Amino acid sequence: MADAKLSPARRLQQLFPFDWSLLRHAGAEPVPYHLKKWWFCLGGTPLYLFLIQVLTGIALTFYYVPSPEEAYASVQAISTDIRFGWFIRSLHKWSSNLMIIAVFLHLLRVFFSGAYREPRQLNWMIGVGLLLTTLSFGFTGYSLIYEQLSFWGATVATNLADAVPLVGPYLAYFMRGGPEIGPQTLTRFFVLHVGVLPTVIFILLGLHILLVRLHGVTELQFEGEKLEERDRFFRFWPEHVTTELMIGVFLMYLLTILALIWPAQLGPPANPAVTPEVIKPEWYFYFNFRLLKLTSLNVSVVLTGVLLLIVIFWPFIEQWLVKRFRMPQSVSVGLGVAGFLGFLVFTVWESLAH
Amino acid sequence: MSLNTKRMIVAALSFLFLAALLVVAYQESQRFRVEEKLDPVVTAANSGCVDCHRKDSPALVMEWEDSRHAKFGVGCVDCHQAAAEDADGWMHEGARVAALVTPLDCARCHAREYEEFSRSHHAKAGLIINSLDNVLAVKVAGMPDNNADAINGCWQCHGSIVKLKRDEQGEVVRTGKEHRPVLDADTWPNSGMGRLNLDGSMGSCHACHSRHTFDAKISRSPENCGKCHMGPDHPQIEVYNESKHGIAFYASRDAMALDKDGEWVLGRDYSAAPTCASCHISAYMTPQGATVANTHDVGERISWTLRPAISKKQNLVVYDDGYKEDYMDSRPLPAVGDSIDTEEKYVESEQLLAKTVRRRVSRIVPWQDRRAAMKGACLNCHNDHYVDNFYEQFDGLVDLYNDKFGIPSTQMMNDLLADGVLDRNAPFEHHVQWVYWELWHHEGRRARHGASMMGPDYTHWHGMYEVSKHYYTEFLPAVIDAAAEKSSAMKQKYERRVAELLTRDEHLWVKGLSPKEAEELRKAYMKRYNQ
Repeated sequence: MADAKLSPARRLQQLFPFDWSLLRHAGAEPVPYHLKKWWFCLGGTPLYLFLIQVLTGIALTFYYVPSPEEAYASVQAISTDIRFGWFIRSLHKWSSNLMIIAVFLHLLRVFFSGAYREPRQLNWMIGVGLLLTTLSFGFTGYSLIYEQLSFWGATVATNLADAVPLVGPYLAYFMRGGPEIGPQTLTRFFVLHVGVLPTVIFILLGLHILLVRLHGVTELQFEGEKLEERDRFFRFWPEHVTTELMIGVFLMYLLTILALIWPAQLGPPANPAVTPEVIKPEWYFYFNFRLLKLTSLNVSVVLTGVLLLIVIFWPFIEQWLVKRFRMPQSVSVGLGVAGFLGFLVFTVWESLAH
Repeated sequence: MSLNTKRMIVAALSFLFLAALLVVAYQESQRFRVEEKLDPVVTAANSGCVDCHRKDSPALVMEWEDSRHAKFGVGCVDCHQAAAEDADGWMHEGARVAALVTPLDCARCHAREYEEFSRSHHAKAGLIINSLDNVLAVKVAGMPDNNADAINGCWQCHGSIVKLKRDEQGEVVRTGKEHRPVLDADTWPNSGMGRLNLDGSMGSCHACHSRHTFDAKISRSPENCGKCHMGPDHPQIEVYNESKHGIAFYASRDAMALDKDGEWVLGRDYSAAPTCASCHISAYMTPQGATVANTHDVGERISWTLRPAISKKQNLVVYDDGYKEDYMDSRPLPAVGDSIDTEEKYVESEQLLAKTVRRRVSRIVPWQDRRAAMKGACLNCHNDHYVDNFYEQFDGLVDLYNDKFGIPSTQMMNDLLADGVLDRNAPFEHHVQWVYWELWHHEGRRARHGASMMGPDYTHWHGMYEVSKHYYTEFLPAVIDAAAEKSSAMKQKYERRVAELLTRDEHLWVKGLSPKEAEELRKAYMKRYNQ
């Protein structure tokens, strides 16, 4: 029998026996000095945008109908008939784009600041996994609209999957739910988009953040900068949280403005019988699309796979190169710059091409 | 950056974010304003009317309350108000009103629609008052003191000349303690499309936009046009009903978005089928994605006139002041900039009058452009190859009717007039005049309308079959009979004319085939069946 004299706080403690001081401890995590510079806070930005995606995504799922007959009409209804539907859809669209940019930027920053090196190799790999999951979100989400361009984008993408050596045909068959894009494909993409990928990203994000906390944030010192011992760290709460809040509110403002000026549009509905003159995927796949145009289907797929494996395992590859060939670490920076510029050039090239 | 600075930035950004959200909310409120089901707004000026008429004519008020007019506070007085010079106006419970609402009243808010409509064939539907149709109703069917056929028939579609009831001294008859002027029962009630109103305006918006809900779905529905565009002389609704378009419409009526507020665009808001309005009036998507604004000038997209005895392609001449005239392709077109005399009919003091107005030509729309405007609607569902071939089929039928029956029969009738067999002032004196009338006005139109809207049965059995049967078995014999009534010399002349006519290739079948032709046909059959 409960003691009648217990305070409400104590009673709660009894009902939910959790050591709340742990949270206070977690909030007191010392944050390295360099994080006072906002551009080092880009890791939090995708997380923030992801939360927006979750909320707007749930709202959109209330109205979206994942069947080929009704998908397009339901997106149209969201954009025209449902109250604030256009706004929520535009937020979802812009937030997805910004999220991909933020993940890219975060990856670049981690790469160029060398934060992927021992002992953080595993977290780098998880991070690349997060990037791939985010891109998969973008691809499946875009396909759900079931407009002409997104339909044909999905067709090209599944053809790419088809060209993967050995497993390709099986992978493509699995994605399409049959030999070609059909009613099964949309259901699969929907389940991936609202079920499988969110689960994957939650697990990867949890591991990613857990590892950041376990390793601690890499401490950076800039040339010519001399710090007193007491200045090397500052408090997570309230200093760092306020910086994140600043970025968060700015992002909400930016997204709202983007939604107002460029609300999400809707092209003609998917027509499997008519191939559009110009097929374009979303901009973040321009690199691959250009590669595909420059080479052949098989070459571009194999090349993308090899590049991806190099990126995923770079911390270990670099370690091996340094050990074996005494490669200076500055070579990594050079390779990174070359890789990034290559990606940028291909993307811009494709965006200018018809 | 100090913590305080950061807090200030957070506050400033939050403020900006909230302001942006307000803009979002405002946009949303604008978007949904017209689609909301609002309560009727009864303004002070209308509250008196609504209170009384809710008891006197409750259904009428209920209808109005359900209208978009009511949602925006447009009430009784706004439409029924009458100016001091309006002859049918009277003081009613403190406001000067008139029972009859004319296009000029609607134009107070719907100026563009009024401009378009008043130049249209619809607004001019009442100008048939001196035509043969009217002679049939007033003279042939009517009596000197009973015009009921025209009143209940013709005028309910074409429109009456609205008149006030007058006593023997010519004074307007008034009634009740408010001295309400009485409208002549011969002329009102009338919702005819081309009604000629007391205020000089032509037409009736109510003909399509039925009071008092003024629901868009009524004017978009084919049945609405079918009130007048039906029957033996112009069975458009029957043709539509038997066409693929009509079948698709009735099967998918729920998918037509007929209730949609605002624009109703084929290829964007609906796709199941076109209605009459879709092709002749409403907006549609173009390959460029733009929409062609809807027009209340209903004839703009029509390239053939299928109404007269001989069909012609029709060009359009538009003048500086917006006045428009159809120019048949047999009539030489003026040049842009030319000043020419135009004959304009108008209504004044309850009389249909005509005047000559000099106008400057500002634009010429060739029939090809009118056809292209119609094709724009077709192309929402069909490709250009299909549409072009359809027009070739349709043109072929009109040419066939014209060349084989329309032109020769009209020529024959003109000759009978010139020879004094027929009297222009006695249009239905002889049997041949009746036969000719039905040949083009009923049967010939049915064939042409059938082809224009893909109604096979109306094209052939109700159309060309009737035309040809009556041409050979009634018209040509009646020509000779009429000539015989004049003199035996005249009879011989027209017997010769008819005999000559029947020697033309297209009439050879009447006499059967010659042995040589029969042999040729037999050979052709043998070749076809490999015997």
